[in-house]
Amino acid sequence: MIAEDKVEDKKHPLENEIIPYISQNLRDVLKRIDYSSLADIEEIRLRACKPVTLLNSAGDWYVTENGRLTRTRINLCIASQIDLTKTLELMSEKSIYAYQDEVKNGFITLRGGHRVGIAGRVVMENGSVKNIKDISGLNIRISREIPGCSEQVIRHIICGSRDIYNTLIISPPQCGKTTLLRDITRIVSDGLPSLNFTGLKVGLVDERSEIAACYKGVPQNNVGMRTDVLDGCPKVIGMDMMLRSMSPRVIVTDEIGNPGDRDAVLRVLNAGVKIITTAHGYSISDLKARREVLGLIEEKAFDRYIVLSNANGPGTLEEVVDGLTMKRRWP
Amino acid sequence: MILKIIGSMLIITASSFIGFIYSRECAKRPQQLREIQGMLQILENEISFLSNLLADAFEKAYKSNRDATSLIFKSAFENLCDNKGYNAQEAWELAVRDNIKKTSLNEEDEQILMSFGKMLGNSDVEGQVSNIRLTINQLKMQELKAEETRKKNESMYRALGVLGGIASVILLL
Repeated sequence: MIAEDKVEDKKHPLENEIIPYISQNLRDVLKRIDYSSLADIEEIRLRACKPVTLLNSAGDWYVTENGRLTRTRINLCIASQIDLTKTLELMSEKSIYAYQDEVKNGFITLRGGHRVGIAGRVVMENGSVKNIKDISGLNIRISREIPGCSEQVIRHIICGSRDIYNTLIISPPQCGKTTLLRDITRIVSDGLPSLNFTGLKVGLVDERSEIAACYKGVPQNNVGMRTDVLDGCPKVIGMDMMLRSMSPRVIVTDEIGNPGDRDAVLRVLNAGVKIITTAHGYSISDLKARREVLGLIEEKAFDRYIVLSNANGPGTLEEVVDGLTMKRRWP
Repeated sequence: MILKIIGSMLIITASSFIGFIYSRECAKRPQQLREIQGMLQILENEISFLSNLLADAFEKAYKSNRDATSLIFKSAFENLCDNKGYNAQEAWELAVRDNIKKTSLNEEDEQILMSFGKMLGNSDVEGQVSNIRLTINQLKMQELKAEETRKKNESMYRALGVLGGIASVILLL
């Protein structure tokens, strides 16, 4: 019963989770947009003194003042800098201090796991970013939970009834990497009776609160029954903490490639724990240019590489490669 | 004669009662200043240690206290929560203005509380903490002053009540 209610709520993430955090002026315009045309929306972009732009699978659209989507440049709804500042204030729920660390990295995450990128004038202190002021651009990326989207992939990951392969998902931006990872996490944790796979204990290190979309520590997205979530924790620290404290069988984390990630992943593998993670890239050879990931490929840390693309819409499965032999398993 | 005695007794009790009420009022202001400091302390902990959102911090603070001053924190919490687009400063100032009359605080105290709102929510954690500490210090000074006035006035009001009652009885007899 409760689960059903949650599905109902999820239908309009825009209405509940994004529109209330946009400044009054722009909110009034966005509310007039017909929701049916927003069904597959991916991004809302606000730029100071520029038209508001929406992006869906058909490309980007301007919004007119009376809430129509158009490609002509007449009567467009223009965002002012004050609109952007107010929007950011609302998004941080009037508590900028609580989001300071996220702002330093250039984005904040809204309730529901929607990531908002921030551009503006950067304030530096001792060589690192302290704050972003004079906001000039906001990019709201709408995150969507698609249960069942990993159906095609999951059989390449599962190994017998009680084990999985170490897996790296490779995908360009906006091809459904995080959405796929979330669904894989759910299935690995819950189990899949049709493949006779019983669930495993999963430790999810959710650095950017995008996968589980925790609100006050409780996952808002379904990431499975046997999943423990470490929310907002840096990956390297989080993976070690999980290993020490929660005795997981699988550790899931998003977007490796930063310095230190390689060692952390190897520590996980040495502890006999499986790992599922993702990396930005268009192909496996593309990844070899990146040192942290190259190290992992050379050490044969992963058993499976799953490459996604945008060819037939987000989440198109391009190929599955065996990590030991580097031979294609699919198609 | 008996009527006279009963009447004068009534007058004396009534006037000393009034005196006691006034002296109680004097004790209220330092008490309320202390309560606010306590709630600000909770706010500081919520912000610096738990890094909670302002609305949650205010909720924790007002629920910890049942004094009249918690009304300010409660309505600040409500202003922050509803989607009328108030920022933190507006929400706090509105809450102070709406509720200050329900407390025994004076104008000077109100000024301190108002200036507390100016930095609320819009800086990093250290900024928030130093703002809260500054306000607590200012309120502490107010509390000391209020305490002195209380000592002076409390006994004065009480004596004035009793003696005034006796004086009017003498006059009437």
